[in-house]
Amino acid sequence: MAIINQATKELQVKIVYYGPAMGGKTTNLVQVHDHVQTAAGNKGKLVSLATSSDRTLFFDFLPIEVMSIKGFKTKFQLYTVPGQVIYNTTRQLVLRGVDGIVFVADSQYEKMAENVESFNNLEENLKSLRLNLADIPYVLQYNKQDLPNAAPVEYLEFLLNNREIQVPSFSSTAHKCEGVFESLNMITRMLLNKFIAQSQATSQQSAHPQHA
Amino acid sequence: MSSLPQLIEEDIQRLQAILRDLNDKCEADTALIIDKGGFLITQHGKVKEFDLTTISALASGAYLANQTIANLVHEENFESVYQQGEKTSMFVLNIDEHCLLVMIFPADISVGAVKYFSLACRGGIADQMLLAKERNPKCGLDLSLLNLADTSKVFKSDLHSSSSN
Repeated sequence: MAIINQATKELQVKIVYYGPAMGGKTTNLVQVHDHVQTAAGNKGKLVSLATSSDRTLFFDFLPIEVMSIKGFKTKFQLYTVPGQVIYNTTRQLVLRGVDGIVFVADSQYEKMAENVESFNNLEENLKSLRLNLADIPYVLQYNKQDLPNAAPVEYLEFLLNNREIQVPSFSSTAHKCEGVFESLNMITRMLLNKFIAQSQATSQQSAHPQHA
Repeated sequence: MSSLPQLIEEDIQRLQAILRDLNDKCEADTALIIDKGGFLITQHGKVKEFDLTTISALASGAYLANQTIANLVHEENFESVYQQGEKTSMFVLNIDEHCLLVMIFPADISVGAVKYFSLACRGGIADQMLLAKERNPKCGLDLSLLNLADTSKVFKSDLHSSSSN
């Protein structure tokens, strides 16, 4: 869960990129790292705990400080999880303290079963942490839309976003940085909105404890 | 709806006083209090010398990974990790359900002393974090100060990108 430090006027937020193996989660972080515009010193190093063949073993980590509003800094910590099925325990560890999720789906037709499996796995892992996906802001990113065997967005929407409450979704070609910043800005917006709603709710409860 | 944990100046001052005292007693370089989600909460010591944001993320991951291994081998009493270096060593101690203490110290310092003094101050850190968690949220920062009018450009790219669905 996000941490507010009033002494240093900081809000720290954790966003996790989740999805099937080889879907483009690490590519998202690489593109953000390479192209994000920040003041000098506000972009941290991209740390990858990966195998020799560049497959994510534990997580990728990118800290970025992007906003200073009325002297209040917001520090975002972006993580990826390993997509390979065998690394489920590490996915659970990375999800700990998550505030928002970008689910990166692979648009190729032959990856649909893996997309669904990964999405179900996300829900299960959140439950193991006593969290509910319905309570956590998340967006869907349909990556690899540039490939000839990519399924149309409508198909992916039916598959992954066919719920009572639909979430924002984005077409993406992550290696060209298309859809990467749109997904990140949307999850940021959803998170800050959630925090404000929580802040207002708790303030009202304090002001009128008899209604709490 | 639960409130966000908010640390005020008083919390940070008290936590830093504990860390300062701890560093003095065991001659460590740097002491950190971190969240198990990977956030750096506060620090004391040689804070410019190390990338503490990244260390916090990795230390929490390392602790949680080792805790999982301990569970797999049926070790029920797991609460610390010691990384022995040639020049610099690190000791991570569980504080409570949410927090860890990370001590970075010269390798020639006795880890026994670091562990002893760390354990002695654990209760003080845990008490202060509990106090912060249970504090009346009204005295916290009003997040409506955050202006959401332009969040679409919180993260700006130096490239032209596509639009949403």
